[in-house]
Amino acid sequence: MKRLAAVVALLGLATGTACSGGSTDPSGSGGGGLFTTIDVTRPGIDANAPANPFNPKGNVFRGYNEIRLAYSKNHLTDPNVFYPGAATSWEIAPDNSSITVKLPPNGKWSDGKPLTAEDVKLSIGIAYTQGSTAFAITPGAAGAAAEVTVVDPTTIKVTQDMSNPSAKFARGVMDTIVVPAHVWGGVLPADFWDKLKASRGTGPVADKAREEITGLGQKIIAFRPEKDVSGGPFTLARVNPGEALLVRNKNFYNASKIAPAQVKFLNYTGNEQIWNYLIAGKLDHSGFTAVPTDVMNRIKQAPGAQVVRGFSPVSVGMAFNQSKKPYDNVHVRRGLAYLIDREQVTKTASPEGGTPAATTSGIHQRPAAEWLGDEAGTLEPYKFDKAKAEAEFKAAGLRQKDGRWALPDGSPWKVSMTAPAGFSDWISAQENIKSQLIENGVDAEVVTVADYPLYLEEIAAGKYDVGFWLLALGPAPYDIYQRLYGASNGWTNVAGKIRHSPAGKDGNWMGSAETIDVEGIGKINPGELTGKLNNVGAEEAKPIMVKLAKAANQDLPAIQLWDYVNAQFVNTGRFTGWPGEDSDLLRWPAGVWMQQGLLKAKR
Amino acid sequence: MTIIARRLAGHAARGIVMVFAVATISFFIIRNIPGDPMAARYQKLLEQGMSPEAAERATTVMYGFMPKGTLWEQYTDYIAGLFTFDLGVSVTNPGTPVTEVLGEAAKWTVLPVLAGTLLSFLLGVVMGVYAAVKRTGKLGDLLAISGSLLHGVPQYVLALLMMAIFTTILAVLPAGGTADILFEPGFNAGYIGSLIEHATLPVLTYALASYGGWTLAMKSSVVTVLGDDFILAAELRGLKRSIVFRYVARNAILPLFTILALSLGMLFGGAIFIEKIFNYPGLGFLLLESVTNRDYALMGGAFLLITLAIVVANILADLFYTVIDPRVRSGGEVS
Amino acid sequence: MSVLLEGSTTSATMRRNFWRGVWRVMRRKPSRLAGAVILLGFAVMAVFGPMFYPEHLPRDLAAGVYAQPSAEHWFGTDGQGRDVVALVVTGSRYVLLSALVTAVVTVVLGAAIGLFAGFRRGRWDTALMRLTDMKLTIPGLPLLLVLSTIWKFGSAVEMGLLLGLLGWGAVARAVRAQTLSLRERGFIEAARGLGLSTTHIVGKELLPSMAPYVAMNMLIAVTGAVYAQVGLFFLGVLPYEADNWGVMLNLAVFGGGAMTTTAALPYMLAPLLAILLLTLGIVLVVDAMDEIFNPRLREE
Repeated sequence: MKRLAAVVALLGLATGTACSGGSTDPSGSGGGGLFTTIDVTRPGIDANAPANPFNPKGNVFRGYNEIRLAYSKNHLTDPNVFYPGAATSWEIAPDNSSITVKLPPNGKWSDGKPLTAEDVKLSIGIAYTQGSTAFAITPGAAGAAAEVTVVDPTTIKVTQDMSNPSAKFARGVMDTIVVPAHVWGGVLPADFWDKLKASRGTGPVADKAREEITGLGQKIIAFRPEKDVSGGPFTLARVNPGEALLVRNKNFYNASKIAPAQVKFLNYTGNEQIWNYLIAGKLDHSGFTAVPTDVMNRIKQAPGAQVVRGFSPVSVGMAFNQSKKPYDNVHVRRGLAYLIDREQVTKTASPEGGTPAATTSGIHQRPAAEWLGDEAGTLEPYKFDKAKAEAEFKAAGLRQKDGRWALPDGSPWKVSMTAPAGFSDWISAQENIKSQLIENGVDAEVVTVADYPLYLEEIAAGKYDVGFWLLALGPAPYDIYQRLYGASNGWTNVAGKIRHSPAGKDGNWMGSAETIDVEGIGKINPGELTGKLNNVGAEEAKPIMVKLAKAANQDLPAIQLWDYVNAQFVNTGRFTGWPGEDSDLLRWPAGVWMQQGLLKAKR
Repeated sequence: MTIIARRLAGHAARGIVMVFAVATISFFIIRNIPGDPMAARYQKLLEQGMSPEAAERATTVMYGFMPKGTLWEQYTDYIAGLFTFDLGVSVTNPGTPVTEVLGEAAKWTVLPVLAGTLLSFLLGVVMGVYAAVKRTGKLGDLLAISGSLLHGVPQYVLALLMMAIFTTILAVLPAGGTADILFEPGFNAGYIGSLIEHATLPVLTYALASYGGWTLAMKSSVVTVLGDDFILAAELRGLKRSIVFRYVARNAILPLFTILALSLGMLFGGAIFIEKIFNYPGLGFLLLESVTNRDYALMGGAFLLITLAIVVANILADLFYTVIDPRVRSGGEVS
Repeated sequence: MSVLLEGSTTSATMRRNFWRGVWRVMRRKPSRLAGAVILLGFAVMAVFGPMFYPEHLPRDLAAGVYAQPSAEHWFGTDGQGRDVVALVVTGSRYVLLSALVTAVVTVVLGAAIGLFAGFRRGRWDTALMRLTDMKLTIPGLPLLLVLSTIWKFGSAVEMGLLLGLLGWGAVARAVRAQTLSLRERGFIEAARGLGLSTTHIVGKELLPSMAPYVAMNMLIAVTGAVYAQVGLFFLGVLPYEADNWGVMLNLAVFGGGAMTTTAALPYMLAPLLAILLLTLGIVLVVDAMDEIFNPRLREE
């Protein structure tokens, strides 16, 4: 009996110390206090990873201890307006042929060394090895840079190769991550810029040069700086497997405006952890994550909790594999569009993070108004309508048998939708669609596959009848439509030339017809039109966007279900001055907001 | 002692064959896994706002980290690498040796699970003796049945319940991580307190989930010993109850030490559910992550390490058994 | 735990002893009867339960999603508005069918290999036991995780088969040990001396005396199988089935926020309670069997 008592006492001791550990409240040091956040784009904090922004696990956090030349404003139609980053002013040639970037004269790295144009040039060299829109070594890539010239220690000029220009050129340049040359200098060989020149040509020499540059890319990803030398508002202090601590960078040119003295990044592996942190009021900021309605209500009850909503240029659609019957028939696709109540789907699947799609246009409804103007009203909205669905199914030759729709030859028809396990909003949307379809006489099933990598491999191989697919990934017009009329639908863009592969070849799993006869417009080749979007300005793009929207609306390669909303969670308890509703800063991490002088510590 | 040395050599030889076999099997299973990790990365970059061309280039760079050559070449490379503890390159952690990633994760598995195992062992042994002595009584019965139930109930059921109680309803313990980063790591009260605070839930859950097994094992062992002649003899000789009890306990606990050694080997891979639910960055968690990320090198490495631990524990358990049980020892000499 | 068989008994006396044992245990510990009732209940639920529901469970739009428990929905509704109890009942078929397959495969393979090794001894024994050791060394759950990436586990039978193929090691080792111990007591030699054939010895003498032990292992294998498959679905590494206990747990925790708010809590608790209850039933029955067949536990 004595021993049992001892064990019980021991147990009590263990929980006792645990509780006392819980009550110690570490207070942040320095003025402005501690800012606690989660990087939702990157689950998992790895204590072993280097302070390297190019490493997928690197302990460099966007906007905090990483700095880019500038941050795109995410204007609905103009890709070339920016917030300052490492660069504080810039000039873009009217024809987009060049951009001249000015750095602030007092710019410094966190170790006190000046931040100069040479740092930017090295960073551009690194960008070539990592894949970038403006700094691409693929021959003939659209919007590639031609020359990089250091004008003076705070000025650098980049010209565009005008043989295949892109309206997004300046955006591509500004997106460059700037790293210190005195730390990173060794990663590029002395003859790097000669190699780059060589890689632009054709033939074996150029091929070899390209291969070498790609090889450098791997070396750079694996590079381990001895310590974090940051150009951003914070510097990495330490990391453990669950959390990372950043401290204010006194040498940041805008340091006086940075409110928090310390930033703590919490690890997360599942959304439910973020929900718990938010309900406990622990986080000052968290990016968007799918939240069920009840959880959202609890989050809003936390003191100081607030949700700021903005635009997110992403939509999700139910995409068809037109090589499979009966989805090759446009009337079947339209009938399904009439039969699915998108509002109900959105309410079940993404009540806070989505708005039901107004219609299928291939564009998120917010920019759709800008791009399409009055034409947006002429699109068929595909409101829930059982009678119209019936008419379409009949037009497709489907037959009703015992209250169920069957294929023209009388064999049973089952709409089989696939989603990757773990995508809870997609699965619950498909479950909802399944229930809706079954209640309206169309048999349906939901199949899940283990995970996203497998899903992507199998969907590209044409294994699924119907799957969910992200659409409208803007804001650049080409990016928006290449989701519907790009490689997954047969049109590949090689060096500015559009080539079409037949269904089932080269990753073409959607299998739309190469040309579509659009009502009121005539025959168009949507893939070629999409390709054109790369090289034109906003005004020229508008008529093309109208054609493509009408084509997508009429031909329905996918049924647009809901448009995502960028809901950001903030807490006004410790910091104020958050960006407002619909701010174009919301798409950037809070570190960028701080760089712009937002956020004040509450006293 | 030569017997032990000979036994050890035999075990080591078999262990090496075993590890080799596991390495081979896991290599071929893992290389046959479908799914395109790079396509997933590409889509992720698109969702983060990268343009399609840039995302494609960025993905191509990462392809450089995938193993090259025919399957057979990859296999020979892999096996050759094993001798230098080179387990390949992890796609999710490029630039960090797999052994280092594993080592970090192992640290966070071993400490809590070890603590949990020892706690449950102590608890289980005490309860087991009690359940055996009072096996006719209501309380002993209850102990045995609750022990069996906790032993039979999956770990994740307990973990979910503990999580709901202590982090959601009461919100007194953290829901994940290893320690608060605000504390300077080292031997200071704040850091150690934070470590304990974060490990409490995993440790307690582990102890709760496994003490039932120890209770049952101890009960059965005590019951067996109670029936042995020497106990009967002792009782007949009129020895004091407490002395008899000490005889019983000492003899009954011996076989349990062997199981303890075995379960310490299992500890490396034994906490997948607990680590997942409590968001604790150990080996099981790492294995799970590597499976969803299709990180072949990490998956193979974690699997190999978990197996290796069991092989070593088996050898230790057997040696231990040889040392404590004279029957086995003499048996070895005869044959 | 270790069940030691006492001496050799002929099947007739065994049967008599068995019913006497059952009677004694039931009289002394009536709670053990509850175990049998629970198991029977689950069996009935898995076999007949799904027949009472349509192929696609209807949504109750009036009650809404994650409805709280009510007279109509005892455990509320799920994220689609379907009755949670109905999901547990329809989901029990997959869980129990695969558990049954696992148990059968485990026991048949384990007993066959164990008997063969123990009976034959020599080279066969060494080879088979090496194989068993190896199986026991490879960690089960991590292996399942890795395998889950290549095997889709579309049907319950497939799942049960795999779990069974992974799980026979412990039974084989124990059955071999028993066979050897019976053999050491001159049991087999005596039977041989009587001129009995090997089939007779194995089938009529060895197997019956091991039957209770094997049956208990079968029940333990059932818990193990339920544990493993529900767990795999819970972790979300397997493609999901709409009504599966593990999937319910997964959706409740990672999709519905059962750990965060109380809304989805009944949805999570229903499969948890089902698992608890099933485990309790098995534990009680195993305990009763232990008492019936293990004379050392008898208090006479």
